[in-house]
Amino acid sequence: MSHIHLPDGILPVWLWASGFVVVILIWMILLRIMKKEELTRRLPLLGMMAAVMVLGASVEIVPIAYHVNLTVMSGILLGPSLIFLATFIVNVILALFGHGGITVIGLNTLMFSIEGALGYFLFHLFWRLLRSVSLAGFLATFLALTTSTFSMIGVVSLGTSHYEELIHQEERRGIIGFEFGREKEGHQKEGVPENVVNLKRFIAIILPLGFIGWVLEGVSTALIARYLHHLRPDLLRLDKEGR
Amino acid sequence: MIQLSYLDYIAVEGKSFFHRLSAKFKIIGMIFILFAIVAVRNLPGLFFLYLFLLCLYFMARIPIRIFPLTLYPLIFAFLFIFLSGFQLFFILLIFLKVLCGSTGVVLLLATTPYPSIFSVLGRVLPSSFVMALFLTYRSVFILLSVLEDTQHALYLRGGVKWRHPWRSLTNISNAFGHLIIKGIDASEKMYESMLLRGFKGEIHYRRE
Repeated sequence: MSHIHLPDGILPVWLWASGFVVVILIWMILLRIMKKEELTRRLPLLGMMAAVMVLGASVEIVPIAYHVNLTVMSGILLGPSLIFLATFIVNVILALFGHGGITVIGLNTLMFSIEGALGYFLFHLFWRLLRSVSLAGFLATFLALTTSTFSMIGVVSLGTSHYEELIHQEERRGIIGFEFGREKEGHQKEGVPENVVNLKRFIAIILPLGFIGWVLEGVSTALIARYLHHLRPDLLRLDKEGR
Repeated sequence: MIQLSYLDYIAVEGKSFFHRLSAKFKIIGMIFILFAIVAVRNLPGLFFLYLFLLCLYFMARIPIRIFPLTLYPLIFAFLFIFLSGFQLFFILLIFLKVLCGSTGVVLLLATTPYPSIFSVLGRVLPSSFVMALFLTYRSVFILLSVLEDTQHALYLRGGVKWRHPWRSLTNISNAFGHLIIKGIDASEKMYESMLLRGFKGEIHYRRE
């Protein structure tokens, strides 16, 4: 829910292309900052956590089109920089299964990364404040998912004029349209209702479904964090902050 | 995702003309399909593209058992019909774009083994990225085998029953926790065995 399950060809080119540009830039910066040996040493862990996220995404709760992401859990275990690399890999693999378009990989990576990185920082913040792994896990996940869902809505809303153009495409009888810039205004014909894109209705559908998902994922992250804290507390790296 | 192992099996074992085509050619074809999905904005055009992909799907003799994978993304596309004010044209446009994309991707994956795809990607993308992709792919199979054992344990602890949501959620979460711990242990072992085999930060693929 917190990422875009839009197919290819729906979002305007400038929007998804910007997503790719930002992701490539962040990827290049991270590769420069991180030591090569450190990255090489942690690559198997990154691959494993990415695989856990891929498996999590395959557990679908069909009535509400929701699946757990485990991005926050992975963010807690991998840290804010590695989670970015992991989410990129996850989105490539998910796109290869038609789970979101290939062109929206960049934007989805940004959404997932916001979720993972924010989850990491919030988890540590709430742990310091509450001293409860379960509560910290739940609150961090809930807030991170809320934020990323709103950023997803923001991204979808950026393409409003493009969706309207697509809807009115029928009247224009064009075979191929490919615009790199923002879409031109005033293309509606007479008799065709303007502003047919109803973002409010979209938000009204997404938010209640999302809320169920945030709670479900929050609870499952809390329970997973509790489980890890019992069996392998070293993985959560809370030692420095006191247990 | 359990279908992944089956998909991999038919990609390796398939004998159709499509399986024999080079991975590079198929990836270029997929890029053209993507370009068409982005650029074509009329229903007949997308419909013919979908029909063409369906023909390729059956000509490639991909088992029908895999076909539902191409329909799976429709679940999510359904949410976006609320955006359009239920305009039939927009709904059909979205659905056809979804179907073209997913059918193209399944066609590629069911006829091309992953290592061949990674090998082609390795020529144009950074090695660390391709290596991470490969390790993730490998890890999915490791986790799937762990998951099989975990499913038995989950069943013995009451499994997943909608009548007992809290217990089910706890069981699922513990299963994922177990999967993570096993996965991390396996990743450490994998790294050590890679080092023993002379791994120096790069995986080399056979160019075939």
